[in-house]
Amino acid sequence: MITPYALKLAVQSLLKEKWINLLSVMTIAAGLLIISVSFFALYNIDIATKKLPEKFSMTVYLDNSLQKERLDSITDALRKNRAVLSVRYISKDEAMKELKSYLKNSDYILEGLEDNPLPDSMEIKLRKDDVGQETAQQIAREALQLKGVTEVDYGEKFLSTLTAIKKGFKVIGLAFVVVLSTGIIFVCYSTVKILFYRRSEEIETFKLLGATKGFIRTPFLIEGAVIGTAGGLLSLVGCFSLYYTVFLRLGSNMPLFKAILFPANLFLPLPVIGMLLGITGAAIALGRLRY
Amino acid sequence: MIHFQNVTKEFDNQTALRDISFSIEKGQMVFVTGPSGSGKTTLLKLIYLAERPDSGEIIIDEWETARIKESLIPFVRRNIGIVFQDFRLLENRTVFENIALALRIRGISEKETKTRTYDALKTVNLRHKSDSYPKTLSGGEQQRVVIARAIVTEPVILLADEPTGNLDPDTAEGVMKTFKNVHAKGTTILVATHNRELYRNTGKRILRLDSGNLAGEEIA
Repeated sequence: MITPYALKLAVQSLLKEKWINLLSVMTIAAGLLIISVSFFALYNIDIATKKLPEKFSMTVYLDNSLQKERLDSITDALRKNRAVLSVRYISKDEAMKELKSYLKNSDYILEGLEDNPLPDSMEIKLRKDDVGQETAQQIAREALQLKGVTEVDYGEKFLSTLTAIKKGFKVIGLAFVVVLSTGIIFVCYSTVKILFYRRSEEIETFKLLGATKGFIRTPFLIEGAVIGTAGGLLSLVGCFSLYYTVFLRLGSNMPLFKAILFPANLFLPLPVIGMLLGITGAAIALGRLRY
Repeated sequence: MIHFQNVTKEFDNQTALRDISFSIEKGQMVFVTGPSGSGKTTLLKLIYLAERPDSGEIIIDEWETARIKESLIPFVRRNIGIVFQDFRLLENRTVFENIALALRIRGISEKETKTRTYDALKTVNLRHKSDSYPKTLSGGEQQRVVIARAIVTEPVILLADEPTGNLDPDTAEGVMKTFKNVHAKGTTILVATHNRELYRNTGKRILRLDSGNLAGEEIA
């Protein structure tokens, strides 16, 4: 239980051992700032990769001799899949037109062709959140079972690269968070352990006068929480300062930096995260000490 | 109130107490005496659970303490006031804070803590030193602060380890007077001392220790 006396003991110790505590606060702030900057980078990379699927489409190639009823039936069958956003029929003539428009001034390369070699096709757009290798593979398998479908092209390499990039960044991000969080917990652990040893005589007297473990532990847990919270607050200030003094200034000269997003709301819990890490470190230290 | 049955305690194969048995009834004042190294401090430590016996049974105010759970030790200690030989005063806290600590540990309200701490300071005639730090006090004054801290909680048992060890005869007499006043209120008191003057002609029970053995019992 947090009593006013436990708070008083914690404040007294924080002030008495101000240099150790200040050093711990700054170390925690640096750790949380690195986590925040990594998160900030990951967030922007994630936003950028999320925009890529908007341009993704699958192409289903068809027999040229299909009747309208058959085309409608294929369209309906493809639309049944929840991941499919739209299905557009592209006749071989339309495909040729699109190719010519894509080639622009280089369309002379098509001049030697007597017949249109392009097949009829259907373009499938997927819902943004469903763009992925597995979904595309499943749709392709289903499409190939439909009568009249000859081939499906869905840019396998693009999808596998996108999946790998996302996975890679998630793994790196997670590893960063785990390593640095462990580091922060260790800083709090060491600080509380040092503070505990420095007060060991006093604690021995507390014990002999009838103090419970809870009475002895509470001020240290408060100290851990305060050190963690202070580290979190300092890193929050660091994040905002970094964004407003570096990125916004660079953005005025370099347009690339204007596209960078700063998720301020996501950084606000930093002091709470610091507090939780501080308490965890202190709790581990107190749990391992014999007293 | 205090019951020892065949208690033995060793430190590094050296016997500090050997097969000790005695009982002290509620409200008694008893002196434990004997030369240095006879086991007086060890006996007190076994009572306030700073040490555990290697064998035997100890009962303190209905608590069987020889094999008591560690989490219950603070609650046994809360029934005991201790006057330590080495004082154990916190140097960075005032006299008031040192005495009030014993009450704060027990979760007593701040208002009551204040009243009881000043009452205890009055009892030992140190009301005027409440804001002083232990280092600025004489040995006798420090001893009285320790006594105030021990009695402020109104313990069932009061233990004193060489309470007059470094005091002049007048101050020692004052300390004993305080103990007698506390005893008059029904507190069980156990005083470990090698100073015969403290118990001479008091009519109190004496436990005599010698090399860890209970060498004898008598009435002073």
